[in-house]
Amino acid sequence: MTEAATLARDPAHGMLGGVCAGIGRRVGVDPLVLRAVFVLASVAGGAGVAIYVLAWAALPEAPGADGAERRRRLSSADPRSLQVAAGIGLLVLAVLLVFRAWGFWVGDGLVWPVVLVTSGAALVWRQSQREGEPETVVPDGSAGGRERRGVGLSARLGSSARGGAVLGALLVVGGGLVFLWLNDALRPARDVLLAVVVVVAAAALILAPWWLRLVRGLSAERAERIRSQERAEVAAHLHDSVLQTLALMQRRADDPRAVATLARRQERELRAWLNGSGAGDSPPTTLAPALGRVAVEVEDTHGVAVEVVTVGDCPLDPATEAVLAAAREALTNAAKFAGTEPIALFAQIDADRVVVFVRDRGPGFELEAVPDDRRGVRESILGRMQRHGGRAAIQAAPGAGTEVELVLERRS
Amino acid sequence: MRRRVDIVSVAAGLAVTALGVLLLLDQLGVLRLSFDYAAPAVLATAGTVLLARGLARDD
Repeated sequence: MTEAATLARDPAHGMLGGVCAGIGRRVGVDPLVLRAVFVLASVAGGAGVAIYVLAWAALPEAPGADGAERRRRLSSADPRSLQVAAGIGLLVLAVLLVFRAWGFWVGDGLVWPVVLVTSGAALVWRQSQREGEPETVVPDGSAGGRERRGVGLSARLGSSARGGAVLGALLVVGGGLVFLWLNDALRPARDVLLAVVVVVAAAALILAPWWLRLVRGLSAERAERIRSQERAEVAAHLHDSVLQTLALMQRRADDPRAVATLARRQERELRAWLNGSGAGDSPPTTLAPALGRVAVEVEDTHGVAVEVVTVGDCPLDPATEAVLAAAREALTNAAKFAGTEPIALFAQIDADRVVVFVRDRGPGFELEAVPDDRRGVRESILGRMQRHGGRAAIQAAPGAGTEVELVLERRS
Repeated sequence: MRRRVDIVSVAAGLAVTALGVLLLLDQLGVLRLSFDYAAPAVLATAGTVLLARGLARDD
C-alpha cells in the first residue's frame, strides 16, 4: 500500500497533532478545510475536540516522506479544492442547522460569529499560503506572447488572491462585529461608530477621484514598464544571438560551408526561441527534440546541412533511444559520404509506432560490398534495431543516394 | 471493456434522490418536513454533489 493510501497523522505538516494534515493527505483535501470543520464541530457541540483527540490517539504517525504529487493534490491552487471546500462547508452548515433544530446548541450569538470568523480566517490563511506557491507560466507560441501571457496570468492570480484575502478579512471583521452586536456590546460604541462611518464615507467620496487617478496611473506605468522590459529582453536576445552570428559570418565570409553552418544554427535557435521551445542545455526527454539535437551535432561536426521534420513525439525509453542512436549513425554515415548535399531526416512518431527516414543524395553504395569488419551499418543500425524489437531497411545504389528506414513498433 | 462507475453521477444522483424521497414523503403526509430540516437536507444535497465533484479523480 502506498504512503498516500495509508491513513496516518502527519505532524510534520500539522498544526497540533497532524490529524487534519494526515486525513487531508489521504483524501486529497486541503487540510485547512478539515481544520475549519473541526473548529466548527467543536463550537457547535464540542464533538470536534473529542473526535480530534480520538483520531490523534487512534491514527499512527506517518513517515516523513513527501512527494510532488501529494503537494500538488493538497495545493490550494488546485481548482477542485474550491469545490471540495464549498461541499464540506455546505455539509457542515447542514449539520449545524440540524444540531440547532435538535437543541444541541451553544447559542446563535456564539456559533454564527465563530462560523464567519473561521471561514474568513481559513480564506485569509489559504491566500497567504497561495502567495508562497510558484507562479505558473503558460508556454505560448511566441516569445512576446509568452511574456505577455505569463504577466497576465500572474496578474490574474494576484488579483484573485487579493480578492480572497479581502473577503476573508471582511468575514473575520464581520464575524467579530456580529458577535459584539448579538451580545449587546456595541450599544455604548454605537454613536461613536456612526460618526466614524459618516466621516469615513465622506472622506471616501472626496478622495475617490484622486484614488482612481492614482490607480489608473499605476496601471499605466506598470504596463509601460512591462513593455520596456519586453523590448529590452528582445534587444538583448537579438544582440547575443543574431548580431553576434552576423559578425562571425562576416569574418568567415571566405568559407561558404562555415557560413552556411552558422546561418543554419542561428536559424534553428531563432525558430526555437520564437516557438517558445528554447534551446536549453538540459538533455531532451522525448524523441523529437532528441532527434533535432542529434541533427545539430552532426551538422556541427561534419558541416553538412540536415533538414529535420518530425511529426508527433514520445518519451525516450531504451527502445526509442535505440532508434535515436541508429538515426545518429545513419546521419553520421550520410554526412561522411554524401558530400555537401543536404541530408533529410523525417520522423513520424505515433503512440504505437515510430518511423524514421534518413535520406541523402550522395554517391550511394552496395550493402554487400561493405567489408565485414565495418560494423557501422550492420551493428549500429541493423543489429541495434533488431535487438530492440524494431527493424531497419537500407535502400542504396551507386549514384542513387541512400535511404535508411528505421521502424519500431511501440508496446503500450 | 469494463465500464467505469462515474462516482460523481452516482453520488449526485443518490443525494438528489434522497432529497426527492424526503419531499415526496412530506407531500404524502408520511412525515412533516419543517424548514428546520428541509434547509439542512437541501444544503447537504448540494454539499454532497460538490464534494463528489471535487474528489472525483481525473481519468
